[in-house]
Amino acid sequence: MTRTKSRVLKVASSVGVAGLLLASAITSAATSHAAAAPSWCGPKKITAALTDGFGGNSWRLVTTAAAQDEASKCPSVTKLYYADGQGNTSKAISDIKGFVAKGVKALVVFPDAGKAVLPALRSAYKAGVVTVPYRVFPGGTDGVDYTAFIGSNFKQAGILWANWALKNLPKGGNVLFLSGPAGNSQGIDEAAGFWGVMASHPEFKKIGAQPFEVTNWDPALSQQVLTAAIAANPKIDLILSDFGPSLVGALTAASKTGWKIPAFAASDGNVLGCFWQDNHAANPDFNMFTVSTQNDHARLAIDYAVAKATGGKLPTTTSYPSYAFEDSVSGKPSAVQCRKDLPGDVYLSAQMSGDLQAKLGKK
Amino acid sequence: MTATETVALREMKSSSRLQLSRGMKTILGAFVLLVVVSALVAPSSVSKGAVLGMLPFAAVMAIIGLGQTLVVQQGGIDLSVAGSVSIAVVYVTRLPEQDNHRLWKAVVVAFASAIIVGIINGILISRIGINAIVATLGVSSLEYAVIMAISQGSPRRTTSLLNRIAANLTLGIPNAVYYAVIATIVVSVFLKMSVAGRRFEAIGANPRAGGAAGLKVKRHQMSAYILAQLLYCFAGVLLGGILTQPTAYQGDSLVLPSVAVVVLGGTSLLGGRGFPAATAMAALFLQQLNQMVLALNVPFGVRTLVTAIALLGGIALYTIKWSLVRERIASIVSSNSSGNSSGKSKKSNGLASA
Repeated sequence: MTRTKSRVLKVASSVGVAGLLLASAITSAATSHAAAAPSWCGPKKITAALTDGFGGNSWRLVTTAAAQDEASKCPSVTKLYYADGQGNTSKAISDIKGFVAKGVKALVVFPDAGKAVLPALRSAYKAGVVTVPYRVFPGGTDGVDYTAFIGSNFKQAGILWANWALKNLPKGGNVLFLSGPAGNSQGIDEAAGFWGVMASHPEFKKIGAQPFEVTNWDPALSQQVLTAAIAANPKIDLILSDFGPSLVGALTAASKTGWKIPAFAASDGNVLGCFWQDNHAANPDFNMFTVSTQNDHARLAIDYAVAKATGGKLPTTTSYPSYAFEDSVSGKPSAVQCRKDLPGDVYLSAQMSGDLQAKLGKK
Repeated sequence: MTATETVALREMKSSSRLQLSRGMKTILGAFVLLVVVSALVAPSSVSKGAVLGMLPFAAVMAIIGLGQTLVVQQGGIDLSVAGSVSIAVVYVTRLPEQDNHRLWKAVVVAFASAIIVGIINGILISRIGINAIVATLGVSSLEYAVIMAISQGSPRRTTSLLNRIAANLTLGIPNAVYYAVIATIVVSVFLKMSVAGRRFEAIGANPRAGGAAGLKVKRHQMSAYILAQLLYCFAGVLLGGILTQPTAYQGDSLVLPSVAVVVLGGTSLLGGRGFPAATAMAALFLQQLNQMVLALNVPFGVRTLVTAIALLGGIALYTIKWSLVRERIASIVSSNSSGNSSGKSKKSNGLASA
């Protein structure tokens, strides 16, 4: 009986371990060295790690590649590991702990689960690792729970959307906002930015769940949420989305039922640009404005973490700016961009060229 | 005739193939009720647009549920739904790279890989005897490793052909619905009308008796995992077509609902007879429930709560022996009505003996 049990355990654990090994072998990435070291790159040799709470979409792929590219500019970083939490909070936490145990000197974390990973960040920081969470605020304080939080001015994105809406929808209208997981700080800040501007413009009205419709940035859920919102609100004048490309499927499905796409303010993506080009003629109200999707936010986080750990010069800011990218009406700062020769999931606002992004994952 | 004989006779009568199962009656009743409630409290959730938007997802869930039904009725459970659906989505989006001519090859690869995964699950569980939960979870994480290897965590956009096949409307109904109906009919006919299917059910109901009757128990249990994988793969291919820009982990959110629809459809988690049509109906029920709660515009937490309560109700409906509950209530009522004095005397006796 015990023999059978132990055999069962052995086989079961070997299946699990094989899976994990294979996953980590595939996801750990080495960095190549560049010639001229930037000012944030100090002399101390270190190994570093980057962990994602959820790495399963193209945005994360490009963002991770941007981080790896940035780290490769600094020869003092001898290795940059990567782990993907796959949307599983306990895996995200054990990834952080695993890298601390491995002895990395700098750790850049995308804390998708927010406060749930704060204890892991704190223990990494207390263990002497330069710990830099970025993009999603995990709670806590700089210098107490982690080295520094590299945020983004998401409020600014909301303000940019609002200013565009004021210019292009002079009569106002009903506004539907779709963001990621419930309570994510990015969505809350964007909503605050947008409705802060609209406080003096009562002609713009909130519709749908507040502060935003929860989509988990999942195309399947987005599609269901948008369908429900369209059914419940016959008149939608403006849709806001902080992951524009994830809505392309939902918009396609909705327009199959004869619904007309309204004005759309979002973050950029090649698939979205091409979708606009293909569909704006048939949908006269479908004007589009995008802010940069900020793949390069990861670069600032890497700069900061590496500077701190290698003894380089710290970047002057800990906040990554939001800026306008495409405007289908004014064409400024850029007209809507579409590269049909490239896959839909490249981000033309990123520093890394679309062609290079297209090559990611084709090893 | 003894009570057990009566029960056995009733069971035999109810197992007549063309009769509606208890699960089907319940879930059909619940669905009609849900539609009425939806129409009253959230009318937009039964409008044409909302229904057309809901149906493809219900169809995908129905097909996954069919697969899970086959496994559950053999007394197993398959948690590799997450990895298997995700990997099918990744194959049919990543391999063709938006080129329609390369779609068919990708579909073939997806189904071939599904068969391999099914065989691995089957061997681990029916031959080596590993607990189904542990084995299928392990296999699912292996699938994630393959997903990472193929896609680096990011699938590509769906090809336009697959999008048309999966998401277009035919005669005003989303194509995915037709596929789900066909899959349900095929699985039902197989289970209820073919010799192989009857053997399969007999083993599910009682593997020992099946074995004693000379049926190959392990082979049938293994076939359940393979057939289930084929259905998950089919669902994954459809999902890849329905979602224009899917993620690499699209199957993650489908594991729990896949078990839920099986239970709501009346198939026992302990194995036994399977009810594919009722499972498919339960998928429709669950999706409409989601749609109604979405339309109610309640906070996200409440949404999850409502779904959880519906599941709890469904499970309670089948697992609690209501006849026993009725008997208990009846005995309490009768003991109360037989006079308070006897109750009191019992109590005092109890105290005295203590």
